[in-house]
Amino acid sequence: MIEILFFGKLADAMQARRLSYAGDAKTLYGLRDEVFAAAVAGGHLNSGDVRMSVNQAQVFDDRPLIAGDEVAFFPVFSGG
Amino acid sequence: MVLRDIWVGEAPIDPAALHAAFLAAHSHAGAVVSFTGAVRGHTRDGAIDHLWLDWYPGMTEASVAAIAQDGEDRFAPAGLMIHHRAGKIAAGEAIVFVAAASPHRRAAFEAADYVMDRLKSEAAFWKRETGDGFTRWVEPTAQDRDDLNRWSRG
Repeated sequence: MIEILFFGKLADAMQARRLSYAGDAKTLYGLRDEVFAAAVAGGHLNSGDVRMSVNQAQVFDDRPLIAGDEVAFFPVFSGG
Repeated sequence: MVLRDIWVGEAPIDPAALHAAFLAAHSHAGAVVSFTGAVRGHTRDGAIDHLWLDWYPGMTEASVAAIAQDGEDRFAPAGLMIHHRAGKIAAGEAIVFVAAASPHRRAAFEAADYVMDRLKSEAAFWKRETGDGFTRWVEPTAQDRDDLNRWSRG
């Protein structure tokens, strides 16, 4: 199981702030593409605009995921 | 050794109390500079009712701490305080308080200025403003980026 968090306008787009994922995606990019497939197909989102973190550390490349990881998807930081 | 005090949370912040506490903690530092940011009552779209700052507890504090560390490395203040509010914040309420203490005024001014410019563009928040008939997500402005770029020039 992977815990997924959404922040900012991505939480609005997904109409969720958190979900538990038990699907087949084994990598961060695979998870992102699956989670946002409908939004990207609908033209509401460009997957390149989605920032990501794994276990609270922002990451900028693909990587394997393991059960228990906490993944967050969010837009660019607005700053305070 | 820098006395660092960082807090991020959804409770209201009291800049006067924070300023008094910081002054008391750094009464012998020589120079203390502070900045208070409050939610503006107007934007280009009209009157603002409130901001909502989405945040990621843990990662947001880490982003603020990284900015503080860079400010300390660059300006070597004796003390640095950053209190940043998140969640729903009404127009007129304080959103951020930053204070820096240093033996000399220039470093204190610059440390506070630098930290604020970084916070405005790079802190892990997602800001939504709601006003009279509108609500929208806000991203860093060209002015914010120009402010940030000042520190990488010359």
